[in-house]
Amino acid sequence: MPGEVQEFVSLTPWTMIFEVVNLLIVMLILKKFLFKPVNAVLEQRQAEIGGMYQKAEDAQKEAQALKQAYDERMSGARKEADELIVAAQDSARRRGDEIVEDARDEAVQLRRRAEEDIELQKRKALREARDELADMAVDIAGKVVEREVTREDHDRLVEEFIKSAGDEP
Amino acid sequence: MSNIEISGAKILVRFGSVVITETVVNTWLIMLVIFIACRILTRGLTVRGGTKRQMVAEWIVTKVNGLVKTNMGEAFRDYPPLIAAIMALSALCSLSSMVGLYAPTSDLSTLVGWSLMVFVLITYYKIRANGFLGYLKGYTEPIVVMLPMNIVSEIATPISMAFRHFGNVASGTVVTALVYAALSALSAAVFKFLPGALASIPFFQVGLPAVLSLYFDIFSSCIQAFIFSMLTMAYVSAAAQ
Amino acid sequence: MGMEEVKYLSKAIVLAASAIGAGLAMIAGLGPGIGEGNAVAKALEAIGRQPECKSEVTSTMILGVAMAETTGIYSLVIALILLFVNPLVGKLG
Repeated sequence: MPGEVQEFVSLTPWTMIFEVVNLLIVMLILKKFLFKPVNAVLEQRQAEIGGMYQKAEDAQKEAQALKQAYDERMSGARKEADELIVAAQDSARRRGDEIVEDARDEAVQLRRRAEEDIELQKRKALREARDELADMAVDIAGKVVEREVTREDHDRLVEEFIKSAGDEP
Repeated sequence: MSNIEISGAKILVRFGSVVITETVVNTWLIMLVIFIACRILTRGLTVRGGTKRQMVAEWIVTKVNGLVKTNMGEAFRDYPPLIAAIMALSALCSLSSMVGLYAPTSDLSTLVGWSLMVFVLITYYKIRANGFLGYLKGYTEPIVVMLPMNIVSEIATPISMAFRHFGNVASGTVVTALVYAALSALSAAVFKFLPGALASIPFFQVGLPAVLSLYFDIFSSCIQAFIFSMLTMAYVSAAAQ
Repeated sequence: MGMEEVKYLSKAIVLAASAIGAGLAMIAGLGPGIGEGNAVAKALEAIGRQPECKSEVTSTMILGVAMAETTGIYSLVIALILLFVNPLVGKLG
């Protein structure tokens, strides 16, 4: 009857059954209300952290690739610049040579022309001198010879004189 | 010595042959407390988490998961709830004697029930690992002469688990009751000169039982709960090999 | 002697024997005391050799001590049963 007290050490089958059922119920309670939500949160946090790490790694790899491309481009640009400089120097040198060449040719031509000019001037001068000389000679000769010299004698005398004057070295 | 009564659980209800004692009722109370605690702890869980409540919940789950992984390996991923249930029930039941309830774990039936469940688990895993004939043959290892000793040690496993726990908790309650009785007798003897009803107030019952309760109730309960679950883990993982 | 006196005397003998039995059972408290003392000594040695492992060593020691305590508890339970539950008196019939 209720109110009675069991022994200090006693085995009651019904209590054993109830207690095992209680233990299983507590296990289900903990599984559903404590372990499942907290495990889900922990796993989600782990996945997020894993995702963050992955993203950081990817960003680093991208940065690395970009840096490499930039470096390559930089070294390419420098090489290009060097080549340009060398080419410009070459062409400048060639231009210089050409200009010198042209100048030299021009100088030679100028000198030749000048020499020709001088030759012409000399001949002209000689001719003028010849004419003047001829006139002077005729005058002198007219004065020396008191006779009128005819024009033909005159010209003949002049030519002989010039020829003999021109033969002199 | 005055009337010291060391007794078992009080029977509360009886339908036919079904007996509901204080033990079972108190266990239901403790289950309710565990359920409420679970709900409070997991309210408002966030992934970032920082509230104290969530840190406590995470600490509990992480510790139990770590224990199970260390002692049982990766094959037993679903065991943390069972281990946590054993630990929680055992510890809280034993601690409930501090608030004046009759501790369910000071009733031998409770513990024999739990030990039998663990024994069934161990046998199940042994049969699953070796087959039924292999399980029977395991009793004759290493020599056939060892058969009785193997049987005895096999039966002794759940019995020792149950009695260890029961002995610690029940003797704790007995010693506490004895100490209370002794102190009341002592104070009755010392304060006999006080008039009338004052002489029967047990003055010495303040203080000393609290200190004893520190060892017997708190320390002993927690240790025994921990040991019961550790032994469960050790035996089940050993049986699965 | 009449039947009642015989019953009383036999009950007295059984109770006395239970009390002596309880006392003898508690001699088994010797074993765990020595064993646990040894365990604690080894644990202290280990802590002295490696002070940073203190918490692990301590918790393992507590675990081992509680296991070794088992036989002492068995004898305590037997003694308590003999003293308070008096099972043998009921067998007098």
